Amino acid sequence: MVAARSVTVAALPGGGHAGRFTAMAAPCEVLVDGVSANAVRRLTRIVAREVWRIERHWSRYRDDNIVHRINTAGGRPVTVDEETARFLDYAQQLHAISDGRFDLSSGVLRRVWRFDGSDRVPTAEQIAEVLPLVGWHRVHWNPPVLTMPAGMEIDFGGIGKEYAVDRALRLVVQQTKAPVLINCGGDLAVSGARADGSAWQVGVETPEPGPAPVIGLPAGAIASSGDTHRFLLKDGVRYPHVLDPRTGQAVLGGPRTISVRAASCTEAGVLATLALLHGAQAQEYLHDSAADARVWW
Amino acid sequence: MQLTPEEKRRALAAATLTLLGGGLPSAQAEDKTWDIDTAVMVYAESDNRVQAVEPVLKGTLNLGAERYFTAKLVVDTLTGASPNGATPASTPQTFAGPSPYTADPNETPLDDRFRDTRFQGVVDYQFPLSDMDTLGFGVNAGTEYDFVSLGANLRYARDLFQHNTTLSAGLNFESDSIDPVGGIPIPLAVMRPASDSDDDDMNGWRDGSSDSKTVTDVVLGWTQVIDPKSLFQMNYSLSRSSGYQNDPYKVLSVVGTDGEPLRYVYEARPDSRSKNALFMSYKRFVFGRDVTEISYRYMTDDWGINSHTVDLSYRWYFGSAHYLEPHLRWYSQTAADFYHVALDDGEESLVSEASADTRLAEFDAVTAGIKIGSAVPGRGNWSLRLEYYQQSPKLSGVPTQAADGLSKFDLQPELSAVMLTMGYRFTW
Repeated sequence: MVAARSVTVAALPGGGHAGRFTAMAAPCEVLVDGVSANAVRRLTRIVAREVWRIERHWSRYRDDNIVHRINTAGGRPVTVDEETARFLDYAQQLHAISDGRFDLSSGVLRRVWRFDGSDRVPTAEQIAEVLPLVGWHRVHWNPPVLTMPAGMEIDFGGIGKEYAVDRALRLVVQQTKAPVLINCGGDLAVSGARADGSAWQVGVETPEPGPAPVIGLPAGAIASSGDTHRFLLKDGVRYPHVLDPRTGQAVLGGPRTISVRAASCTEAGVLATLALLHGAQAQEYLHDSAADARVWW
Repeated sequence: MQLTPEEKRRALAAATLTLLGGGLPSAQAEDKTWDIDTAVMVYAESDNRVQAVEPVLKGTLNLGAERYFTAKLVVDTLTGASPNGATPASTPQTFAGPSPYTADPNETPLDDRFRDTRFQGVVDYQFPLSDMDTLGFGVNAGTEYDFVSLGANLRYARDLFQHNTTLSAGLNFESDSIDPVGGIPIPLAVMRPASDSDDDDMNGWRDGSSDSKTVTDVVLGWTQVIDPKSLFQMNYSLSRSSGYQNDPYKVLSVVGTDGEPLRYVYEARPDSRSKNALFMSYKRFVFGRDVTEISYRYMTDDWGINSHTVDLSYRWYFGSAHYLEPHLRWYSQTAADFYHVALDDGEESLVSEASADTRLAEFDAVTAGIKIGSAVPGRGNWSLRLEYYQQSPKLSGVPTQAADGLSKFDLQPELSAVMLTMGYRFTW
């Protein structure tokens, strides 16, 4: 995937400037309160470089990075870099906390599940065929060495964008005292309240028509998960792009969009993803987890 | 793992913190860019007085992480004539010096030897101590034909209340040495007449030495973001100068009761000066587009000078990338206690301090100007500013016995000047 690696700065109608770039197949935006257009450009470059760096590092569409080496190791051990090791530690903890729902190796299920809007729901046999290649419990993670059975794959896509937003924000606040908002395709984080002390007003994309609902964000982050555009429809049943790695089945009856507000974009993203994996019990899961969330069915 | 949902949430939060907190990648090597500010100012006073051309080159290197290195060079080329302090006379007046000069009858005597090139250089470095504090320091040096100045400054700023408030403190120190042609004149000594050609330095009673002055300034500042559209700023400064304060080329006329000069004496100012100044400014964005600013400055010193400055400007953005900025400044000051237009015969032995420098006189001044410029983000931007300055002196310090005699002269003519500044700013 070749994306234009450029940063642009545009004046906003209400004053100020926004820095824009594209990364991880999403439009990204950087807002900084009370600084010049040049400063916005400089800060956006810092954000973009960091997001692009993470994209390069963990993209599964490249053949020159750690993810490619892991996925093509053919059962041999792979020594990973420090940042990847930290992420694998995290994934391992999430796998435990989520009772196996959060799984970096679930991407193999895409071989049988193709969410192209058709009715081609895989058969039980097809799923049973790939399921042995899914499951973090099959992976041997002895930091910094990862050993994975041949044919298995890992994929950081589920949470990589949220992680990139958080990391870029941490970098950029070292560079400016001004309030910053970073938004990559609806996953966003802010450095704190705006210059006047007010909350940032964030529009959330939902399946419903009409103006996007607005969520105030004085601090922290918002991440959203949903299947608005990616699902299968067969015999009146909607099969969302939400797959339970334990069964290989799509999770039915869940909400279409969930927005979670949390301290970091990564945490918000994990909560939203796990809530979707709870299907019809998404609301209960969010409530039990004391998550600050909005759900659209 | 048998955890309650709350425990799971806490475990998630803790794991996320560990993930994000670890090994923060060092700020990616940023482009180190220079912001270059260039300007040329042309200044011309009326009646062929002082003319100046002043090119300025300033570069700020952004080192990343809010660290800035600044270097600035200013060159001033001055020519023309400036009042030497003497009053007009009914007959031509000739003043001594390496190149004696003469003033026509009824004309304010101007010293036309006023010709100098000044160089001034500044280097400065500013960096954050934390997210909340910034430290800056700089050194500067200036030279003129007969003058050398060395200075250093240290600044500290601290942000409070989510960066909405900034408190700052600064300390400046400057040391000047002056070595005028023929040496420092003895204060209130008589300037030798031009006809006295035996005088080796041809400049009267000068003791042949140089002298120096030190200036210490303390500045306390408060900047407050009132709301996203407005900003208030207040500074208090205390300046203490000690050492040689005189202008070695300035004299006073000692006049008879008819107002005609008997002789000239060199000026004598106190050997120290303390100034207190308070500055307030309010800046506001209006119509989501323009910027207006109003400021006021009050200064008072122990020489008896009190001044008020009110400054108004409005920056109007028109089109997509240009602005027009009208500017108006009003200034008023009282005279120094020792300001005299001239001295009565014998008064020079009664006073210990005296100066006829018009800059120490009571006057009002108005500056009106307009600036036009471009403001395209990320590109080179130019500006052009034209200003007109009009000084209106008020007569003060007239010697009592010669008041009638002097009344036939225009003792404090008005001064006007035009300033044109062309600027170009770009990133390199």
